[in-house]
Amino acid sequence: MYSRRVLLFFVLFFLVAFAVKTGNPNPPSYLPTPYYSLPVSPETNDTVALGRLLFYDNILSGNNQVSCASCHNSYNAFAHTDHQLSHGIFDSIGTRNAPALFNLAWKKDFMWDGATHHIDAQALAPLHDPKEMGSSMEELLSKLRSSSFYREEFFNTYQDSLINSRRVLQALAAFELSIISFDSKYDSVKEGVADFTHQEVSGYKLFDQHCSKCHTEPLFTNGEFMDNNLPVDSSLDDKGRFLVSKQKEDRYKFKVPSLRNLSYTYPYMHDGRFAKLHDVLDHYASDEQNGCDRKNDLEKPIVLSFNERADLIAFLLTLNDDRFVFNPTYSFPEKLKNKLLED
Amino acid sequence: MRTSLLVLFGATTLTFTKAQLNFSLSTDSSVSVPLRLDSQDSISALRFYISNVRIEHERKIVWSAEQEHYLIDFNQDHLQSNNISGQEGSDLKEGVLKFVLGVDDNTSAQGIGEGPLDPIRGMYWTWQSGYINFKLEGVSNQCRTRKNKFQLHLGGFQKPYRTAQNIELKISGEQKTVVFNLKKLMSTINLKEDHTIMSPNEKAVFFMESAKSCFYVQ
Repeated sequence: MYSRRVLLFFVLFFLVAFAVKTGNPNPPSYLPTPYYSLPVSPETNDTVALGRLLFYDNILSGNNQVSCASCHNSYNAFAHTDHQLSHGIFDSIGTRNAPALFNLAWKKDFMWDGATHHIDAQALAPLHDPKEMGSSMEELLSKLRSSSFYREEFFNTYQDSLINSRRVLQALAAFELSIISFDSKYDSVKEGVADFTHQEVSGYKLFDQHCSKCHTEPLFTNGEFMDNNLPVDSSLDDKGRFLVSKQKEDRYKFKVPSLRNLSYTYPYMHDGRFAKLHDVLDHYASDEQNGCDRKNDLEKPIVLSFNERADLIAFLLTLNDDRFVFNPTYSFPEKLKNKLLED
Repeated sequence: MRTSLLVLFGATTLTFTKAQLNFSLSTDSSVSVPLRLDSQDSISALRFYISNVRIEHERKIVWSAEQEHYLIDFNQDHLQSNNISGQEGSDLKEGVLKFVLGVDDNTSAQGIGEGPLDPIRGMYWTWQSGYINFKLEGVSNQCRTRKNKFQLHLGGFQKPYRTAQNIELKISGEQKTVVFNLKKLMSTINLKEDHTIMSPNEKAVFFMESAKSCFYVQ
């Protein structure tokens, strides 16, 4: 009996140690089946580690000054803060706010309008966009092939020195898929190791009543494209999903974002028009028309009392995953710093 | 005997002698190098994918190409040979040549491919993911566009704009020719209006269906 207890202790110790080391424990059991299999962390997987280097390297842009991380900052849950519209090469201003990156394995398509149907293809969009990275896969491959640093990294990863589009894109995708965030207070409560406060319980009920249809648990998005009745910004006239599907009913629909890590991912909406969470709640409380004759997906304004609003926000804050945001596994890799200093 | 499929421009011919299968250039005089049609219209790029090339006889596959996908790329400066090899074949007298014009939907729905499917080949959309199944570019006086250019990038694999086309051509006898009739395709395109297609839409589906009808056995 004693030896069994010792064995159990060691097993539990290694499980906990592994989870802490990688910062990437197995996702909780209450999640749906992901669309993509999850790679392990950069510390234990060479492809993810290579993808992490590429993700943070400015070599991806035409002028070697913009990286993926320029608009997807790990300390902001890989979102782009402080700017309504994200900016890229030569200070070009884009048309949307870069979305946060986490739990991507549970997404069936990507970008605000779902223009990318597979994660391996996603990086091609910013790479080629003249307002984002202003480069091309051919140009990037040429740079990587002439870099002794990357020749070695690719060799170490794939056991040969071939550098091609597929490997670059799959490495980036592997790193992005490794970015998972299910370590919030909400998750601890779901796992039975923490309790909500009375205020959070009250907020949870309000959330369930008013928000959960679109921001569905446990991912806090239903993954659909919805029209949330935003007035059209005439300076952009961004028709969202319609640009991809060409279907009239998709005009002004955008991908419902996850509410996880919402304290870190401001400003909000596809065009970053709302700087604060209160602005968002003000919008949903308003019965203002959207300025055209379209039918939106909101049933009615969500009118909350001052106290109810405070309760709802208290619950929403339990969706922040601080350990994820400050997880060094996901941040700028030390190896790349050395490379940049040598270049 | 090694089985091979050789594709060249233009009009493409296929010789089917026992177990050998070749696409080769038609001597159709309406097409010349650099690529010009009868009028002042000229073609600067003509590329398309073909997938799952095989010959069936009595519902059995009796020959299939080595690769799943081929990018047929006709260079404007010379009539490029696109050699397609297949498995060893037995002597065939008749059959049905089947292939997909474009990248089949299942492959498109997956991620990034290698070889002919490598995105550096200029046949993958970057702003909206998916392969361009058929690319036709050139210059025509009919086009009131910048430098009179036309650009037809035909693709899309999701409803309602699925563009890949299944093609079946009966072949029999010892020698057969399959022709892709570019002139016929051009006759279905009103370049005054349809000079720029860059995304999946109804026109892309229409012109892919038109292209499907331009393959035939001679």
